[in-house]
Amino acid sequence: MIEAVKSKIVEELEKIVGSEFVSTSQADLYIYSYDLTPAESKWPDIVVLPQSLEEVREILRLANREKVPVVPYIAGGNVGGLTIPLQGGIMLDLKRMNRIIEVSEADMYALVEPGVTFGQIKAYLEKNHPTLKYTYAFSPPSTGVISNALVQGLDNLSFRYGAASHWVSGLEVALATGELVKIGSCAASNTWQAIAPFPETAGLVLGWQGTTGVVTKAAVNLWPNPPHNSAVTFMPVDLEGAYEIFQAIIRTRIPDDLIGTSFTLNKAGVDAYEHRKMYLHPAVHREGDEPEFIITAELTGNTEKELNAKMEAMGEAVRAKCGGYKYTGPDTAPSTTAAFPMQALGVLSSGGGLMWVGTYGPMSRWLETVKRGCELQDKYDITRTCYTRIMNEGHFAGLRWMLPYDKEDPALVKRINDLCAEQLDLVLETGYIPYKTPVWAVRRLEEKVGTDWLKVHRRIKETLDPNNIMNPGRWGMPR
Amino acid sequence: MALSDLKEWLYGCTHCGTCKDVLNIFAPACPAGERYQLESYFPSGKILIARGVADGVLNLEDDDLRERLYACTGCLSCEQQCGVYHHQHIFEIIQALRTEAVTQGCLNPAYMVMVESLKKDDNVFGKPKAERGRWAEGLDIKNAGQEKAEVVYHAGCLLSFDEELREVPRSAVKLLKAAGVDLGIMGMEESCCGGRAYEIGYMGEFTKYAEHFMETFDTLEVSEVITSCSDGYSTMKKLYPKINMYIKYETRHLTEYLNELIKHEKLTFTKKVPMKVTYHDPCHLGRHLGDDGVYDAPRNVLNSIPGIELVEMERNRENAWCCGAGAGVSQANTELALWTANERLREAQETGAGTLVTACPWCERNFKDAAKEYGVDIRIYDIAEIACQAL
Repeated sequence: MIEAVKSKIVEELEKIVGSEFVSTSQADLYIYSYDLTPAESKWPDIVVLPQSLEEVREILRLANREKVPVVPYIAGGNVGGLTIPLQGGIMLDLKRMNRIIEVSEADMYALVEPGVTFGQIKAYLEKNHPTLKYTYAFSPPSTGVISNALVQGLDNLSFRYGAASHWVSGLEVALATGELVKIGSCAASNTWQAIAPFPETAGLVLGWQGTTGVVTKAAVNLWPNPPHNSAVTFMPVDLEGAYEIFQAIIRTRIPDDLIGTSFTLNKAGVDAYEHRKMYLHPAVHREGDEPEFIITAELTGNTEKELNAKMEAMGEAVRAKCGGYKYTGPDTAPSTTAAFPMQALGVLSSGGGLMWVGTYGPMSRWLETVKRGCELQDKYDITRTCYTRIMNEGHFAGLRWMLPYDKEDPALVKRINDLCAEQLDLVLETGYIPYKTPVWAVRRLEEKVGTDWLKVHRRIKETLDPNNIMNPGRWGMPR
Repeated sequence: MALSDLKEWLYGCTHCGTCKDVLNIFAPACPAGERYQLESYFPSGKILIARGVADGVLNLEDDDLRERLYACTGCLSCEQQCGVYHHQHIFEIIQALRTEAVTQGCLNPAYMVMVESLKKDDNVFGKPKAERGRWAEGLDIKNAGQEKAEVVYHAGCLLSFDEELREVPRSAVKLLKAAGVDLGIMGMEESCCGGRAYEIGYMGEFTKYAEHFMETFDTLEVSEVITSCSDGYSTMKKLYPKINMYIKYETRHLTEYLNELIKHEKLTFTKKVPMKVTYHDPCHLGRHLGDDGVYDAPRNVLNSIPGIELVEMERNRENAWCCGAGAGVSQANTELALWTANERLREAQETGAGTLVTACPWCERNFKDAAKEYGVDIRIYDIAEIACQAL
């Protein structure tokens, strides 16, 4: 950005939010210039922290007038490089907009601002509405509730309800032009209970990675919080067994959450959970009778009797379908829901880096994709680290291979990047679509989706963001 | 510790933000981050700054950058919340950056004054050394430098010179004497422990005071040093060993000592002190001591005083919110120090207590200043002042 233009913009921004909340300090810009992935570092020119809707709209009007990029930011932990300012500009840090505006007990939603975090909403609900809960992402408590929904995250109620974007029941969006749009029932009433029955314009925002506007409020579904919970685990010795166990459990419709991880991820992760650095390379292998996979189903019950009946029914279903496979379980374990947040997130303890090819794809090709993805990890002498979450009662699966790595080890970074490139080829072949899509995967997907798809997307982007200032260079990038 | 010696810890942080809030209750944990909101003020931001400096991308000559480094009260709440392998080294990284800044001659004017005062008068307040023992006037107490005493009471810099806090060391002495302890003080020969110099990056001064401190007590063959200053206490217990200096004498915080005296019935409280109080855990008496954190002793002392009703704040013990005074912040960034203290005073008021009790003069001083600045109606005492009322 030209210095004279920058000075003028800074001056105007300071008038909008106060000088305390505008920074061009190198220390600040550097921090926002990269994230935990190996994505190339790009520096913003200015950081600004608004506190109100009106401030956001004024900033957007200014940026639009000056044609300066704006990148919305909450915590930056998306594992997709999504807040790295590819073309510089203004980093719009929304953490000061952190009000929980309303919790409707009867309509079971929470109306929140973009700075509200998973930790914050958990504490608030426990204190004020203990019979309700939101969901929790496999991420630190500082993760934004709205940003998680916007990037269609997977959470611990995803088996029951799908991706987090499915739970949005209303949106307030400031467009690049400063216009303000309400989406859902809130557009015509004071309640935020549902997007339906309006035309579903939420799709102009959800999944767009902040490229079409800034969400300034969102209502998200809350769920009853049954008092009894437990986790049930099964440990198959091969992936074929894992697939059959998943299928058996899916058809019961019993769990709230259904996930599976490579056994070796847990084995390597012991170091991290004990506050030591964990290493995935050279690969840690399973030995002897150790299983290939750990499947965990989270169950809840209004009574202990209900919980026990669910456990029994699920165990029976697995026994009936999976008799031909070798596995152990069901074993009960403490609910991981109760353990949120995970202080020692194993994936975060390997030297500051975390990377994955994270995808949503069909159960029908789950086995093939997982097997080949794990074999690629073997090829690169990286520990098998598959993490899968069954979504929306089995209609699709979240699948990724967690790759925590040491940012200070260039040879390892290259190894990880090469592995991810091959895993990306694999998933694109098997119908698994990268989610929280990093820009390098966006470009690959654009080669597959067809020209009309691209035209429509670019037209949408241009309509909502005529000067292409919103997180430019990602979805809908003009040719 | 030099930044280059800490490289192992600079690259573990993924900027996950777990350090920002107290685990499980999700109340704010970091005073500087909470006050300024920019990522650079949070612990993870400071680690990234350290990485930038180590990699040559950022420069310590940058005033903005140093302002962020010094906006840290060293409360260690981040180390309590973080679960990653570097979690016990976060403040060490910040301290190393400060040391590096001093080494490079990138000095903070407020600290230059403080260090000059240390060099001249052995205290950080610019007060004449000769006035150091005045707090004890009329107490009829041994001068441990001239007369053998089993136990030496170390008042520390703040309690030696702050007239408004004068009743704290005087109460401590009265309590110890009431229990029959053979007690002395160093009077004007007492010197700074050097802890503040360490926290602001003046390692030379810190080492000098550590050596002097230990030499003095070793020469006098003192068997035990008791202090009301949590900063001083943690300096002796935890910082001296960092530079391979191990004290020969026993050292205890006053609250630990009182707790022992009460337990062994050498000290009993007879008068009723009808008060609803909440206790603020000083960072240096808690988190700074790691597994040796002193949390129960002060509460036991309070609970042994007739009439006292002790209620807890939401953030307590290992998760206590800082008073805001630590690591040089009260000298160089008064606004942050008072803002932080005010947050705590509000939390104390939410308990319904009319009195906040603490066990560190730096906390007490800062709370009193914040109460005045923000107009908060709450009484603030050191634990010794309350206990003395019950004698």
